[in-house]
Amino acid sequence: MSTPTTGHRPDGEAARGAWLVVMNREIVVRALNKTFLVGLAVSVAIIAALAAFFAWQNSKTDEFTVAVPAGDAVAAAAVATAGVVPEGQGGGAELTAVEVADDAAARTALTDGDADAWLHPADDGDGWVLTGEADPDGTLTRLLTVGIEQQTLASNAEAAGTSVEELTAGGGLTTDRLDGDAVDPQVLFFASFGLALLFFMGALGSGQMIAGSVVEEKQSRLVEIMATAVPLRHLLAGKILGSSVVALAQNVLFAAVGLVALSFTPVASILPALSTSLVWFVLFFAVGFLGLAALYAVAGALASRAEDLQHTTTPMTMAVMGIYFLTFSASGTLATVLSYVPVANVVAMPVRVLSGDAAWWEPIVSLAILAGFTVLALLVGERAYRGALLQTGGRLSWRRALATAA
Amino acid sequence: MTSLTTTATRERAPRADAALEVRGLTRTFGDLVAVDDVSFTAPPGLLTGFVGGNGAGKTTTMRMIMGVLAATRGEVAFGGAPVTRADRREFGYMPEERGLYPKQAVLDQLVYLARLRGIPAATARTEVLDHLDRLGLAGRAKDHVEKLSLGNQQRVQIIAALMGSPRMLVLDEPFSGLDPAAVDGMVDLLAEHTARGVPVLFSSHQLDLVERLCERLVILSGGRVMADGTPAALQETGTVRHRLVTDGDAGWVRGVPGVHAVDVDGPAALLELADDATVQRLLAAALERGGVRELTPVRPTLAQIYREVTA
Repeated sequence: MSTPTTGHRPDGEAARGAWLVVMNREIVVRALNKTFLVGLAVSVAIIAALAAFFAWQNSKTDEFTVAVPAGDAVAAAAVATAGVVPEGQGGGAELTAVEVADDAAARTALTDGDADAWLHPADDGDGWVLTGEADPDGTLTRLLTVGIEQQTLASNAEAAGTSVEELTAGGGLTTDRLDGDAVDPQVLFFASFGLALLFFMGALGSGQMIAGSVVEEKQSRLVEIMATAVPLRHLLAGKILGSSVVALAQNVLFAAVGLVALSFTPVASILPALSTSLVWFVLFFAVGFLGLAALYAVAGALASRAEDLQHTTTPMTMAVMGIYFLTFSASGTLATVLSYVPVANVVAMPVRVLSGDAAWWEPIVSLAILAGFTVLALLVGERAYRGALLQTGGRLSWRRALATAA
Repeated sequence: MTSLTTTATRERAPRADAALEVRGLTRTFGDLVAVDDVSFTAPPGLLTGFVGGNGAGKTTTMRMIMGVLAATRGEVAFGGAPVTRADRREFGYMPEERGLYPKQAVLDQLVYLARLRGIPAATARTEVLDHLDRLGLAGRAKDHVEKLSLGNQQRVQIIAALMGSPRMLVLDEPFSGLDPAAVDGMVDLLAEHTARGVPVLFSSHQLDLVERLCERLVILSGGRVMADGTPAALQETGTVRHRLVTDGDAGWVRGVPGVHAVDVDGPAALLELADDATVQRLLAAALERGGVRELTPVRPTLAQIYREVTA
């Protein structure tokens, strides 16, 4: 039995555990919210679909029919071998040779669409010509250039009493770099776009959620009941942590779906680098969102009715959108600067880590700067939240909220 | 089964005997003095009615008592000492504007609010179900609050205030929007809390209800306390009138010294008499002129007192 003055309620317990009770509610209510769940499912489906499209785009083989002069063994062999590319390298195609009796038949085949191109010896006897109805396809040209070269090389070597293998022995060149795998600039762009989008969706979605939940309690005066039961600080802490957990879990889920989907695509070789970058992103996001959530909570407290939210959350929305557009389009010095500016560094630094352009200490310093911002946002946010929450009657300004909490 | 747990809960509930005292409470909003030097006591175990028109300062005073609004001046004491945050955590409070989470189930949010006050989830659940049962909402525990009628939302709201054996109840217009049967149910519920010594302060503008329920009354007007006491004591202080019915026309009473005729209608008159000597003089004069059918003091109703003190 506890002390008689507090009845069957141990005094300290209520205050200590209150933030946990609030956090649990925030998470459960969000997790059971139909709109949220539908949005989540749609997002996961979009990510998986994008990755699948990317994979299909990379792995699909083009098919070409090539007309060759009847009886021309070199041309037939070139077409037969050109489509075959070494394992792991994309860009192959399936080539089929069709023999044509003469030049006229070949031209007919081209104009009728029976053949995509016509491979034949040049009229002056020097080399080969690939004729199309218009310009022959680029991939086909590339493949046949190599194919015809190899066939010519092979027949010339044979004529010289040797073989291609002997001629090229010891002449192979492979590339290597000290800082790990190279990342295709295009992949880098898509990765930065993806991270910026993850940030945007997580920050905006969960930010709006916390602002909405704050104004819901304020508008209904529930907060007056709660303010007498628990310190407002606990209420805010529970809300920030609850929405952060949801936002983070959502991003981890998206990132995991993305990584798994990408592992089926040809870019699988950069997965280790991408994973490292994603781990940094999750870490940065976790720290940065705590600060953003505190500011969003204030935006909610400054409103008096749900209708005011549009207005009070505008600065936050602008900031988040600005970060989104800036970070995925930035490059060079701007990208380096952004990778140190809170909250833009949540996206910008992991992108630099992925590009291999950041030294090992850079993300750590940047994270420390972000942590500083978050601590500041929490301190100022907590004060403004307390100042604004119990004031009714219209929208409030930051200035008034901070002054009232004094 | 429910009644068994109920008994257990009530036996565990501590007896309270602390009074709530409000001393010189003042609140200004800019130039407007919303609450002006308000002092009164809500004694343990009594229903104290807080009466006043719109803008009289009832809600502002209650918000200051609960600490959701800072007082410009003055203080609130509970059990003889300035009220603390720990005290207030054990106050049951029903704010003026109603609202709960519209899209959360009744049971879930009542348990949530109870847990915020440090009541273990299992205890809270039992207590909520018991209260829902008593207020006729047993079948609605899983319904979202927005699906309930306003009267039922009101009941849910009062349950939120009554959970966890509060040591003080501050209820802003708890009866507004309730039908007479619901009022009686709520009154029974409140009586259980006053029976264990809890002071209950509730505001209302339904004077007949206050007159019927309250053991104590505080009348507020323009931010000031106009009257404070038991209804009987207030009626004593109010102007006592007399009703006189004679055999003939009673118009002559206007000429008797010390008599102020409020209304004369044929043989009947409603009079304000200066003192007891005037009553005797009036009776003698009436008997001289013929038969007296009736001479009775008329106790003022609360509504009359209210109009007098707030005029």
